[in-house]
Amino acid sequence: MKTHGGFLGAIGLSLLAGWSVGALAQTTTSVSDSAVSLSAVTVRAIAPERFLAGQKLQRIDSTTLLQFRFSTITDLLTYNTPLAFRSYGPGQLATVAFRGTSANHTAVLWNGININQPNLGQTDFSTVPVAGFDKLAVQYGSGASAIGSDAVGGSILLGSQADWQTRLGVTVGQQLASFRNKQTQLGLRYSSAPGAAWQVSGRTYLYRSQLNNDYPYREFRNYFVDQATTAQRGLVQDLYVQHRNGRQLSVNAWLTDNDLILSPQDTVARERTRTQSSRLLTTYAAGTMTMRLGWIRDLMDYAKSDFTNPSHTETDRFIGRVEREFRLWPGLSRVTVNLRTGGEWSHYRTRTDGYGGQLITENRQDVYALLRLQTERWLVSANIRQAFVTRFNPPLTPSLGAEYKLMQRAQTTLTAKASIGRSYRVPTLNERYWVELGDPNLKPESGVNLEGGLALTSALTPTLTLTTDLTAYRNRVDNWVLWNPATDYHVENLQLVVARGGELASTLTYTQAGWQAGVRLGYALTRTSQERAYDRYARDVLGKQLPYVPVHTGTLNAWVQRGRSRLSVQMQTSSRRYITADNTQYFRGVLLANLLAETQIRVAKAAFRLQGQVNNLFDALFISVRRNAMPGRSVAINVLFSLPANHP
Amino acid sequence: MNKHITTGLVTSILTLSLWNCKTADPEPSVYESGVYIANQGNFQQNNGSVSYVATGSNTVQTNIFKTANPSLDMAGGVQDLADVNGKMLILVDNDKVGQDKVEIVEDGTFKSRATLKTPDIENPRRAIYAAPNKAYVSCWDVSGDYSAGTFFKDPGYVAVVDVNSGTVTKKIAAVKAAEGMVLVGSEVFVGSVSYGGNNTMAIINVNTDEVVQKIDMGGAPEPIAVDANGKLWVLVGQTMICYNPGARTVEKRVPLNSTPTSVAISRDKRSFYFSTGSRTYRFAITDTSVPTTAVQNRSFSAIGIDPNTGMFYGTQNPVNYTQAGYVIRYQESGALIDSIRAEIYPARFFFR
Repeated sequence: MKTHGGFLGAIGLSLLAGWSVGALAQTTTSVSDSAVSLSAVTVRAIAPERFLAGQKLQRIDSTTLLQFRFSTITDLLTYNTPLAFRSYGPGQLATVAFRGTSANHTAVLWNGININQPNLGQTDFSTVPVAGFDKLAVQYGSGASAIGSDAVGGSILLGSQADWQTRLGVTVGQQLASFRNKQTQLGLRYSSAPGAAWQVSGRTYLYRSQLNNDYPYREFRNYFVDQATTAQRGLVQDLYVQHRNGRQLSVNAWLTDNDLILSPQDTVARERTRTQSSRLLTTYAAGTMTMRLGWIRDLMDYAKSDFTNPSHTETDRFIGRVEREFRLWPGLSRVTVNLRTGGEWSHYRTRTDGYGGQLITENRQDVYALLRLQTERWLVSANIRQAFVTRFNPPLTPSLGAEYKLMQRAQTTLTAKASIGRSYRVPTLNERYWVELGDPNLKPESGVNLEGGLALTSALTPTLTLTTDLTAYRNRVDNWVLWNPATDYHVENLQLVVARGGELASTLTYTQAGWQAGVRLGYALTRTSQERAYDRYARDVLGKQLPYVPVHTGTLNAWVQRGRSRLSVQMQTSSRRYITADNTQYFRGVLLANLLAETQIRVAKAAFRLQGQVNNLFDALFISVRRNAMPGRSVAINVLFSLPANHP
Repeated sequence: MNKHITTGLVTSILTLSLWNCKTADPEPSVYESGVYIANQGNFQQNNGSVSYVATGSNTVQTNIFKTANPSLDMAGGVQDLADVNGKMLILVDNDKVGQDKVEIVEDGTFKSRATLKTPDIENPRRAIYAAPNKAYVSCWDVSGDYSAGTFFKDPGYVAVVDVNSGTVTKKIAAVKAAEGMVLVGSEVFVGSVSYGGNNTMAIINVNTDEVVQKIDMGGAPEPIAVDANGKLWVLVGQTMICYNPGARTVEKRVPLNSTPTSVAISRDKRSFYFSTGSRTYRFAITDTSVPTTAVQNRSFSAIGIDPNTGMFYGTQNPVNYTQAGYVIRYQESGALIDSIRAEIYPARFFFR
């Protein structure tokens, strides 16, 4: 029993170290590794968390996740990262530009599995609610060697997390917001230990939101405000079974249903996009081996005017992944060397009206070897991956990254980081199979990402802590795919895009006698442009900033907390967004701000978390892609009841 | 003290008179003589605009509506422009139903006077001068489901606009997919867009604002212009029809041998320019067939002829409509003048 407790403690410690606040992710994770050599948790950790040394990894802390509990991931990332979103309106399509790349260049991983919709090769971030996962991290730069396709600009890592402590926990959440918008969440957490050797834990979470977006105005600052309704439902089911010898079986399921209707009152012009996803993942970990089996089904139905006969897209993906992680030369005392080797197999089956409606199948395989070397001052990773796809093979994808602790004192750690890596993107199913326009023999896009930076953590005084992170990068993506209007929108590998820039993130926290205060600042410079002339009008476009990617973005989060009450301000600002490729037209820069006041009231063992929220505090004009105004100032009241009080 | 009062009085009178002068005088005209370019923009982005090039200049002034009215936004593609007694009508088409409009501005300053909106204006297509202070705006009306074949409401209408009050005084039921219009004497001939499925031309009396007759033209009619002999030329498919507007008879048919991208009448109203897929031709109103030699070995998506100088304006666009298009200008002789960059998808010209 004692060893049991110790083992759990070690897991707890490594989880804590791994998922605590801090931009020094790779560096902080390492603490747990030296404490427990190759723990079960280490083996189970997904590759990008451990094998992309030298690259920026930003973990979103639990307080932030809780503050955005009733939002989509778009809002959370907008106010906490430099990611630029191209939004079509509230509750409507939102795609990302990560470090100046396109919407197809961000891998979205859920428990290590890429969940980008395979027909489009991207994720509509408006369909991903924060309530759907337990933890969130943002991996900057290409992570192809550890992740595979799509991880060109960066990756979003969503994860579930077992809670072995809570015997039975209940969560009920309700949001009431302006414009007749509302949301309900219902959750259960449970765990038990049947017998001395076994542990079981699970989470069941249901959410439902109805955004009516019933604005009391038709225009905002002389811009039309477009009404669209979104109904979102979801079910999350996690189950973990663990034996004291470290073997663990987990089942994660996430069902989502997103129903978006544009111009609902207009029976002719209305448009409906219904997206449903079923995601099921089984992970078995024993000793040094991890095995994952997954099934993902993505359904999409689009209809205009008459909703009875929508155009239908149905894609299934079966995924198998086996990984082993070894400790090499365990005899060495000052160096820890881990090697993870793995293979992944995916089988795609799609029936899409736009491909002619017949069944199309595709197989993709990946093999990879990831090496991680750690000493007291060094952390080095060297990875290699080769993917095989039906009809063509993406390039061999190596990466090399290193971190070195320049300064390591009791109060201050300064780390230098650098990495270089290749990336690729397998063309989407649409790009390959769309009737006439698609090209099955399209080349994969391929990129080279180079980055370097410095990270500093310093306890300035016993009450004041500073973490700062400075990164510069250059990412060159060739064979960039374009639906070429000059050839009636046939898909071609035409463009060469170079993105370069830098990010600065800094957090200052103050803690004393029941008070907590902090400020988190982020700034990003993103210069991204098309560099190859492929037609005669290209001279007007060469070197110009890609549309909808602001050159400058900034975020500011400030908070003051006393006891269980907290006041926060979230701000996001961006410079002008060009809306044409030649940069002749743009939307002006904008500053958006939200104000949040929250408190927790304890009633016996239960807790009520009350949150009042003012969105778009300054009533700023923000214009969507279709030149409509986003709504002005609005309010929301959130109540989150939990029993017992302390479970998430 | 007395002096003080006198000075005060004089100052006040002076100030008043100055103020009066100021209010009485219109603001100085920025746009006097030149060409206004209607840029359609990229449809889903609703980013059309009006550009202006002064006579003798090669500098394009972009988005002049925004310049004159910084707090307003057109939010749509500009379909057409027309000047009626000093007021310019800007036809704006948004990709959402109920968001189309006609902006009425002072032609010299481009300051907004009025905005005509739904339900008066639905899918505005063309605007013309009909009578003093009266403009006609052809509209498709609310569009239906294209795939179901019910896109065009039957019939479309012509909105009668009083440009002084900035109001629509009447909607005249015209033809399905109502589009091109030409004023001949006191009658306006209204045609339709080529893919609208309508073959008739409606004739409206501008004094009564009533349709007096509908004529079957055997294909979708696009009235182009009245020539030097007072004949109305109507494009029907690949044929230019010379029509006698008084007698209501077809006088002759000139086959163009190809569907033109654009047709425009010359300065002397004795010939027509038209572009096909790769070339631009010119034929005289006396011709019965078109010459085989092209006047320009290139094609333009829109053609405009400056009625004062005879200068030829032709547009060429990058096909993606995410970057600005060009206007290529030639002397009446056919000699190249220059190429100027307009805005996204320049599609119509208005010369003043």
